[in-house]
Amino acid sequence: MSLRYSFKLAAMSLLHEKWINLLSVLTLAAGLLITSITLLSVYNINIATNRLPEKFSVMLYLKDNLSREEVASVMNAARKESTIETIKYIPKDEALQELKKTLKNTEFVLEGLGENPLPDSIDIRLKREFVRPEMVKTVTAKLKEINGVDEVEYGERFLSSIYSLRFGMKTVGFVFVFIMSVGMIFVCYATVKILFYRREREIETYKLLGATKVFIRAPFLIEGAAIGLFSGLLSLAGMLALYYLIILKLSLTFPLFHAILFPLQLSFVLPLIGLFLGMTGGIIAIGRIRY
Amino acid sequence: MIQFQDVSKHYDTHTALRKITFSVEKGEMIFITGPSGSGKSTLLKLIYLAEKPDEGNIRVAEWETNTLRDSHIPLVRRTIGVIFQDFRLLGNRDVFENVALALRIRGADERDIKAKVFDALKTVNLRHKSDSYPDTLSGGEQQRVAIARAIVSDPIIILADEPTGNVDPDTSVGIIRTFKDINAKGSTILIATHNRELFRNTGRRVLKLDFGNFAGEEPG
Repeated sequence: MSLRYSFKLAAMSLLHEKWINLLSVLTLAAGLLITSITLLSVYNINIATNRLPEKFSVMLYLKDNLSREEVASVMNAARKESTIETIKYIPKDEALQELKKTLKNTEFVLEGLGENPLPDSIDIRLKREFVRPEMVKTVTAKLKEINGVDEVEYGERFLSSIYSLRFGMKTVGFVFVFIMSVGMIFVCYATVKILFYRREREIETYKLLGATKVFIRAPFLIEGAAIGLFSGLLSLAGMLALYYLIILKLSLTFPLFHAILFPLQLSFVLPLIGLFLGMTGGIIAIGRIRY
Repeated sequence: MIQFQDVSKHYDTHTALRKITFSVEKGEMIFITGPSGSGKSTLLKLIYLAEKPDEGNIRVAEWETNTLRDSHIPLVRRTIGVIFQDFRLLGNRDVFENVALALRIRGADERDIKAKVFDALKTVNLRHKSDSYPDTLSGGEQQRVAIARAIVSDPIIILADEPTGNVDPDTSVGIIRTFKDINAKGSTILIATHNRELFRNTGRRVLKLDFGNFAGEEPG
């Protein structure tokens, strides 16, 4: 069988049935674009939350008037925790200076306080892999038991919210991508099926002249693949246009948008996903050929 | 080359063929005749495997068609050139491509295809129409394109279902002469026709069918 002839037949059909094919390409491209936006959102949230462990810290507030030895003893007890990456003692005077720096022009709110109200504290950074809500909870419970520790604080709600958001986005994202993929395969399936029915007599003639199943199937598979590939390329163009619109235009007004990342791999993956979906739909549509 | 042994074929409402037994030797050219509905087309369909017999055995070349696996059907069909009653030409391909299809299916290379297609078109006097589309041709011309497609791959068996059904008497004579020439090169040919003029004085065997029954054999 000549593959060149199969490509020729597929090209002829793509042109001859241009409206059906164009409609399929546009539908698939829209589906792929929506799917890509979902994946891009999941990707960016994932990147953002992956940076969280670098910023995340647990603060141990010490009881008042601990001696140097007692502070050292607290730090040694904390160091025994294998989950801890770094540990830093912050005397209350340094904490106050830091607070003043943070308050900048509103420093006046501290006037009249007289004595430094802040306690001595220990800033603890956990190892990256342990910055998870349930793990942090366990660690902080242990740290709180150390003699000399008055309070432990780490922004429990914030951490839980971020992780719930990440988990939620991933789950919803993947379910959505799955549903969209099934839908897109169905579009390819329906297109190839329609083309197959429209050429039923032609296919019957092929069979009677001695065509093999591969000879009959190949042009339809190529056609399905071409529809998928064109859709992938079109959705990629849409995606890039959307991305640059956000980065170049919207980020001027909303600087937050500037942080959105576009994975370059998507440029290769999108057309390939289209190709895969197109071929899968095509294979299902042709099904078994009976003589 | 072809053997039928007690072959019957039933459809829902009627019996197309009943206990048919005959054989065709390699290199023979025979006619199958009978009125419309006598089972001529069904008999040809059984040979090119478009139908399966309900009873009996059929042998085509080296294949027992009753026990043939699905994947071998294309192989059998490639040894046969068929001129269908309704031609089965593809309207979206020109004459050249319609004839070339039989070779493309067999995986022939482009140079071979070009030479053989023009050769076949020359045989049926349609070399000058190679760029035309079927719907611009007369019935007779379409029939000749179908003949060219059937002979282009040098099949060992040629089946023709009413090959002169749409042509004038002069063209009919020309078509039969073409078949004789092809037959002279060694192909086995079966021609189904209700036109007795076609086989008169040809000296070829004629199998007669009458409403699905074998009604005897006569010399042409």
